[in-house]
Amino acid sequence: MRVGGATSSGGAGDPGGAGMAGAHPAETEPDARFTMANERTFLAWSRTALALIVAGLGIIQLLPPFPGVPWGRHVLGVPLIVLGALAPGAAYTEWRRNQAALRRGQPLPPSLLPRILAVAIVCVGIVAAVVVLIAAVR
Amino acid sequence: MTAPWRPDPGLAGERTRLAWARTAIAFAAVGAALLKKELEIGLATLAVAPLVFAAGRMAARASTPEQRARRLLAVAVTVTVVAILALIAALLIPGPDSLDQLLPRHG
Repeated sequence: MRVGGATSSGGAGDPGGAGMAGAHPAETEPDARFTMANERTFLAWSRTALALIVAGLGIIQLLPPFPGVPWGRHVLGVPLIVLGALAPGAAYTEWRRNQAALRRGQPLPPSLLPRILAVAIVCVGIVAAVVVLIAAVR
Repeated sequence: MTAPWRPDPGLAGERTRLAWARTAIAFAAVGAALLKKELEIGLATLAVAPLVFAAGRMAARASTPEQRARRLLAVAVTVTVVAILALIAALLIPGPDSLDQLLPRHG
C-alpha cells in the first residue's frame, strides 16, 4: 500500500532524499510486481545452482576416467558443485538487498553473481580443454 | 505510477507461480539423477519437489514480507544442503573405471 506518495515513483533520480528527514528515506512495501520479479530472479539462481550440482556430479560419477589424468574428473566436477553450494546463499543475500532497495525506492545494487558464474564457467572450460589435451597426448 | 488497478498486471503472479514450478521440476530432475548412485539423497531431493511446488502456490497469493523471506531462505538452504550431500557423494563414491563398466554390453 502506498500512502505517502512522496517516494513512490522511481526514486532513482532522488539522491538528495536524505535531506528531507535526515535519516533513511521513507520505507514502503514495494509494488507486488517488483517483489515477484525479485523472487523470480532468486528462483532462477536456485535452478542455476541445481544445474551446476548435477553437472558436477555427472562429470564425476558418469564419465569414464581420462586416460593418464586420474584427477581429471574431480578437478572439473568439484568446482561446479562448490559453486552450486555457494550460489544460493549469495542469491538470497542479493534478494534481501534488492528488496531493501525497492522498499526505499533506491536504485538496485549491482549483482556480482553473473560475473562470478561467467568467470567460473570460463575457467572450467579452459581446465576441461587442458585435461582433454593431456589425455590425448599420453 | 497512477495506472488504473488491474488484477495481476503483466501476469506477475502467474509467472512467479511458473518459476516456482520450474524450480520444483529442477529439484525432481536432480533427485532422479541422484537415484542411481545415491539412492537416499536422490529420494530426499525428489521429496523436496512437491514441497517447492506447494510453496509456489502460496507465493502467488498475498503473503507478508516475512513469509516470503522465510520461503526463499528455505529454498536457498535446501539447495545448499543438496550441494553438500552431492559433494560428499562425489568424493566418496568412485566413478566408473571404464566406459564398459558404465554401459555394460550384452551378449
